Amino acid sequence: MAKIIGGVGTSHVPSIGIAIDKGLTETPDWKPFFDGYIPGKQWMADQKPDIAVVVFNDHGNTFFLDRVPTFAVGVAESYKPVDEGWGPRAVPDFQGATDLSWHFVDKLVERHFDPMVCREIEVDHGLQVPMELFFGRPENWPVKVVPIWVNTIQYPIPTPQRCWEMGKVLREAIESFPTDERVVIMGTGGLSHQLQGSRAGFLNREADEAWLDGIANDFEKYRDMSREDYVEQFGSEGAELIMWLVMRAAMNPQVELKHRHYYAPASMTGAGMVVLENA
Amino acid sequence: MTGPAIPETPLFDRQGSIRGYKLNKMAMSLGRPENREAFKADEDAFLASYGLSDEEKAAVKARDWHGMVALGGNLFFILKIAAIDPAVMTEIGAAQAQMEHGDFLKQRLGKV
Repeated sequence: MAKIIGGVGTSHVPSIGIAIDKGLTETPDWKPFFDGYIPGKQWMADQKPDIAVVVFNDHGNTFFLDRVPTFAVGVAESYKPVDEGWGPRAVPDFQGATDLSWHFVDKLVERHFDPMVCREIEVDHGLQVPMELFFGRPENWPVKVVPIWVNTIQYPIPTPQRCWEMGKVLREAIESFPTDERVVIMGTGGLSHQLQGSRAGFLNREADEAWLDGIANDFEKYRDMSREDYVEQFGSEGAELIMWLVMRAAMNPQVELKHRHYYAPASMTGAGMVVLENA
Repeated sequence: MTGPAIPETPLFDRQGSIRGYKLNKMAMSLGRPENREAFKADEDAFLASYGLSDEEKAAVKARDWHGMVALGGNLFFILKIAAIDPAVMTEIGAAQAQMEHGDFLKQRLGKV
């Protein structure tokens, strides 16, 4: 059966992609941010996963408000970067782990989830940036992907508890998938940021640091928090952190926190990552 | 979501989505190069073709980031206008907070 080799949580701020595109990664503003990802990148290179499941939200690039899936799963052969207004970024297309995607869709529906199933769809920075942070900018990505979109834009967004439950089904799907492929799960988004309203520019470094410490082995409070709690503690867009719960729930109750990094602000966002392995 | 609203934090709920639909639809269309060209060539005609109100048109034309959000614009859509007419994210953020950019960087983001 396929094996979960670990889970990572990471920010997916678009400015990170722009910094890479413009060659700004060594500038004083960005170097400390990118340097903190070196151990995570090394971990990924050592672990050699075959498939990355990437849990992220679209940012009004692929889905408009005419149809808003609460959860969507990609089952495409490949995914192109979407034009976010600047023209598509020069990152390679992402090859789809089609069979695992369909198997996951089967399991979701068996377990009473009702995802939108996407056969032809493009991906925005929410998937691109985490891949670049952990795999660099190769000519071809060394992994295939299973994209999972979570609506965090238009309310009602799903509850943190629902994201958690989805993570359990994800684990069941991977561990019943009849290949020996190695799978890494990437929960993305956050950390604290708010882009709209007069509280724009809200950052909560203390809550971010506590999250990065706690998501490993003190996750219950985050699983049990309300959406309002997320918005209050992490800002309106910081509520994206609920997507890390999908990753965390797919791991063992006890995990080892292998790597951890925090830097703020990346643009207007508290940014960082964790790398977790099952204990 | 129910319960008390979080201060200074408009969530993009059904009211916002309904109110801002046309404005957001116009902005979403800027993800296609031919629409960006049409916007640049004749902004008035382009905005009119999406049925925007006079107030919405004025907010877009003034690049009034605070006003657009107040009219139901969602930042993720209207950011595509900033791709045509470049504005940095923190300037747009400062406009939301109705602060001067330098003050916003210092006071909100802790930049020195």
